[in-house]
Amino acid sequence: MTDIAQAEQPEAETKKPARHIPGQPDMWVLVLFEALVFTAYFAVYLFHRSAHSGLFLRSQAYLNPWLGTLDTVLLLTSSMFMLHCVQAARAGVARAAMTNACLTALLGLGFLISKVTEWILLTRTGHGFTSNEFFMYYFFLTGIHLLHLLIGFITLGVIMYQLRSPKRGSREIVETCATYWHTVDLLWILIFSLLYVVR
Amino acid sequence: MSETSAGPATLAEPPTEAGPPRGLAGIAWHWRNDPKRELWFAWYSMIIFYNIFVIVFFIMTHAQPPPHPDWSDAQVVSWFNGNHNGLLIGFGIVFAIAALTVPANALIAYSMRRMSVSRAFAYSYLVMYSLSAFPGMLLLCVVLSVAAMRPGRDPAQTHWLYDFAFLSYIGTMGIFLVGSLVWMLAILLDKNRVLPKWFGYLNLCNALTEVVVAPAWIFHRGVLDWNGLISWWINMVVFGVYTSAFMVLLRTMIRREDFGEGPLPDLPNTLKAKIAALAGAAQ
Repeated sequence: MTDIAQAEQPEAETKKPARHIPGQPDMWVLVLFEALVFTAYFAVYLFHRSAHSGLFLRSQAYLNPWLGTLDTVLLLTSSMFMLHCVQAARAGVARAAMTNACLTALLGLGFLISKVTEWILLTRTGHGFTSNEFFMYYFFLTGIHLLHLLIGFITLGVIMYQLRSPKRGSREIVETCATYWHTVDLLWILIFSLLYVVR
Repeated sequence: MSETSAGPATLAEPPTEAGPPRGLAGIAWHWRNDPKRELWFAWYSMIIFYNIFVIVFFIMTHAQPPPHPDWSDAQVVSWFNGNHNGLLIGFGIVFAIAALTVPANALIAYSMRRMSVSRAFAYSYLVMYSLSAFPGMLLLCVVLSVAAMRPGRDPAQTHWLYDFAFLSYIGTMGIFLVGSLVWMLAILLDKNRVLPKWFGYLNLCNALTEVVVAPAWIFHRGVLDWNGLISWWINMVVFGVYTSAFMVLLRTMIRREDFGEGPLPDLPNTLKAKIAALAGAAQ
């Protein structure tokens, strides 16, 4: 029965590649768990924001939306290069994959410099971690995100190590590390929306 | 552990031909015949310790969740007076059972010894956690007991002891952070499949929440103080999930242990094995 049913299926359908989760499925535990933890942080932030909306709006005006937008563009572009890196690694073109991984790292570094610059500018104008409740959340959320980004640099190092030798070149490890990088990107988009955009 | 007493055992589970008797006789049977008895001793030590820890810290002494860091001298003295007996009896119990953390940590180190990674991981974890037990738990118990012991002491001194105890407890989170990262690295590098990779990543989640405790040194109120919504409550949920996960996984590891060198065998009754058997039967 099974054989006949399979034989009757069109050829294109039988050759359809099996669906698979990119990277190690275990990495998705980290993604989901971090998403839950950050959801909890955002819920706490929004609760306090609604309780002190005047203070949060006044403080938000001191943030430079252009720097926030630049950060977002840098990270989104880095994610695009990461995508190209994974595609090149899947196609077995290690050189192109390595180039894209380097570009991803470069843009990540740009984000790091931009974020630290913003912190310095804010603290110089008297808006530090302990200034008020808004800036406490601002430095906390951007700080914990930057820590995730630093771990992202380690994952980029793992990708480059995998790509340097065709003997190593594990597609699964490249995809796993890319998943982490995209998670960092996604978290930033949410943080950017909450801190810079939502009024 | 009893690698030599295991003999030529190759099964993940102890031999059950004769079958252990039920009840107390079963415990005696395992005590005499089970090659994994030392590992089970360590695992039960962990379970007993964490259960007593929760009862003492959360119910008897009310040291968890920690009381507010911005209290006045009078409020702190009132807290000590209200928990006088609970603090002295509770921490008396902790001093009696604190050594159970040693076999518990040894079991975690054993999991790393069973992996295909350097022994440095297991040794560094063991040393870190052994040392951190003093400032991370015992010092809090000693200092809070000292403050509770003489209720008539100067309130400013009692407040000083209160701050010292909770800052000591909070301040050791960095060691647990590095410990989690060491375990994570060992799991991710391991080829013997001792613990699942997702638990390696869960170690990273736990380590990242330990970082969030650091602002408790700066803030006296709000969500980031030492009993804040972010620095304590959310962290405690993550830590609870993490601790429950490793208790179950270490139990499974012991059941799978074959005292060999290579990859740990799977248990015959797992869902994965059942699916494989069903797939085989369907063909």
